[in-house]
Amino acid sequence: MRLTSRRLYSVLSVLMITAMLLSACTTVAPAAPAAPAAAGSEAAAPAGDNWWATAAEAAGCKDVTIRGISESTPASNYAAEVLAPEFTALSGIKVELEPTSWDQMYSKAINDMQANTGIYDFVYIEQDIIYSYLANSYLTNLTQMLADNPDLASPDFDFSKFTSFIDNFKDADGNVFGVPMEAFIKVYLYRTDLFDDPAIQEAFKAQYGYDLAPATTHQQYQDIADFFTQYGKDNGMDLWGTTVQGNTGHSSSFYEFVETIAPTFGVYNWGINEDNWKAEVSQGGEMNSDTAKEALAFWVGLLKDAPPEATASTWDEVAASFAAGRAAQGWVYGENAAWIATNPDKSKVVGNVGVALPPVAEGVMDDAKSGKGYIGYYDGGAFGMPVSSKNPKCSLLWLQYIGQESVQADWAVAGSRIVMNSTYDDPKVQEVNAKTGNYYMLMKEEGPLFRGAPPFPFHAAIRAVVEPYIWKALTGELSPSDALDQAAAAADAELVNLGYGK
Amino acid sequence: MRSNRMGWGLLAPTIIILFIVGVLPFFYVIYVGFFNWNAFSNQLGMQWTGVNNYRRLVFDDAFLDSLGRTALFAFTSVTIELILGFLLAQTLVKSFPGRTVFRTLFTLPLVMAPIAVGATWRLLTIPGFGPIPYFLDKWFGVDYRIATYAGQAFITVILMDIWHWTPFVTLTLLAGLTAMPKEPQEQAQVDGASRWQIFRHLTIPMMMPILLTTVFIRLMDALRVVDEVFMLTSGGPGAATQFIGIHIYRVVVPKTDYGYGSAMSLLVLYFTIVLCWLLFIALTQSGKQKE
Repeated sequence: MRLTSRRLYSVLSVLMITAMLLSACTTVAPAAPAAPAAAGSEAAAPAGDNWWATAAEAAGCKDVTIRGISESTPASNYAAEVLAPEFTALSGIKVELEPTSWDQMYSKAINDMQANTGIYDFVYIEQDIIYSYLANSYLTNLTQMLADNPDLASPDFDFSKFTSFIDNFKDADGNVFGVPMEAFIKVYLYRTDLFDDPAIQEAFKAQYGYDLAPATTHQQYQDIADFFTQYGKDNGMDLWGTTVQGNTGHSSSFYEFVETIAPTFGVYNWGINEDNWKAEVSQGGEMNSDTAKEALAFWVGLLKDAPPEATASTWDEVAASFAAGRAAQGWVYGENAAWIATNPDKSKVVGNVGVALPPVAEGVMDDAKSGKGYIGYYDGGAFGMPVSSKNPKCSLLWLQYIGQESVQADWAVAGSRIVMNSTYDDPKVQEVNAKTGNYYMLMKEEGPLFRGAPPFPFHAAIRAVVEPYIWKALTGELSPSDALDQAAAAADAELVNLGYGK
Repeated sequence: MRSNRMGWGLLAPTIIILFIVGVLPFFYVIYVGFFNWNAFSNQLGMQWTGVNNYRRLVFDDAFLDSLGRTALFAFTSVTIELILGFLLAQTLVKSFPGRTVFRTLFTLPLVMAPIAVGATWRLLTIPGFGPIPYFLDKWFGVDYRIATYAGQAFITVILMDIWHWTPFVTLTLLAGLTAMPKEPQEQAQVDGASRWQIFRHLTIPMMMPILLTTVFIRLMDALRVVDEVFMLTSGGPGAATQFIGIHIYRVVVPKTDYGYGSAMSLLVLYFTIVLCWLLFIALTQSGKQKE
């Protein structure tokens, strides 16, 4: 009996091991980079498939592993899952790209560069942090490096092919420190199925006296938010009038206010006076101006029309809420527009997404057109190389690979991002553009009305000081007026502490 | 002499490693605490500032608030865990049907990583999707939103800590109760002592060393809590659950204020050592009284 049990266990063990091996094999099979490799062959054709292998061999990079870190965004995930295996297949250089949370990405990258440890060969540089990185000399001058190593310069890589977004990653002399890999605008998304419904249109007009259409003023936005919140209640639907990126413990809420809401009221550059680095009105700043307070009151007031998860929502949850059909309208980062509008596995509102410019106060559009102001946030980032990189030549090849025109269209479709002028005209992009309510063309044509973060070298430090007051306004602990008064005072004190605005 | 040398030889690798990973960083933190060092400052590198960072701390309301909040959290959660743990240990020391199954299930939270505990509670409490807000609203009409209401967030964080750590307290006290000699209690019963008298005058004094050790361990854990709270609330809403660990993280990592963060860490370490010392005195005094 004992022997039989033992034999039984042996047989079972063998079966289990065999099953595990077989399952491992079956798991590996689909993951083999067949599709990416094919795409890569096609993608890298202009440079010649073996150009990358030859360059890698010449630079001593064959079989070298380069490591990078990025925020987990659709564009970064595409780079990690598609472009990295393609590049490895062509060059023999292994790319380990770590897409992680926004906070982790910053802390890991900054710690690595500050300590000069060289863990990362390339890092994600969000447009808003580049000024701090340049001030600290963390990054490699790519223009110079390419000039110094002409044999490593890919024939398909050209800085001049990028949109003007690349200017964000240049120093005063025009040297480039990052290869743009994503760029998008934070747009106004709305539900076309709701906005185009005749019964809803009639009910809205009866209540407010004007036609239901994407809001162009804050009052209209408020009316639409109120209307659809009530509509959701009346019809037993999980539907609210607007999204609010109002996380009360995360920087995303700070960003929604200073980069999305405040500019539409005419408060630019976080309300900090760039001439004397002051935030308080009494010192020449605008952070606690009446207009800024009006903007904050408007935004905090939207919480009553937002889904209950709004105060726990970062940019990701806002996109998820909209994709789940829980909001009729909202400010959503454009990197999410494509999947929300086209991916039925992740979105319940496929085919029902409209895109428009955000509502603005009087005079703001004129400011934006004249270059004095802007109507929203032009976000994005680049991959740059820390000076501490242990494999700079290998990283340079990788950075050029992702900067080729040939890899841009699929990347744009997957990540709603465009960094090169030619990508807009690609048929694949045009096809998705039609499904996303014209998002890509809106970005192309109206992109100049939006702007990235102001060139503050103290960006993260001031954000850390101001954001607790925004959170307190969102929870009702402080009134919008008190919150901004205290935030402006704290910002000015910190600026002095950092050596700005004595 | 030879055995002494061999002893030191065997200890040497441990001492060297401890020196490198424990002592050196500690002195480095002391050193950095005397500098103004911020990656976002317009004065690059470290600027000598003397004791200015420590002076700033005394007037830093956010720091003092988070310190007070941490003390309140630690005191409340450890007290409740101790009471619940003691009651459960008293129950589990007796035999009853299903005791083993209960004990196994009960200790499951203990084996979970704090970050997983935070994630679990986040899923349970997320407004709009989590079962807790849903049922509280459906059954009691309670508007439960921990990302909006500070009081709810603080209570939820305490409940999460209790859920996570009461099994530890229970197991520790259960071990003490199981190892306690039965004779004094039986003698007291024969002498006519009530259950309360036995509990008050025999069980508690005999368990005192274990109780204090448990409080000691739990208090230290509660004072340095970061990961599960950060996962659940990120320290919010506002600063409602921004305990000292999270506060220091925010100063050192996003703000990159390394000098000030070092000073802050040292002061917190000082408070913790004082607290440990007081508990140690209490523990040893209790041992002496017993003798």
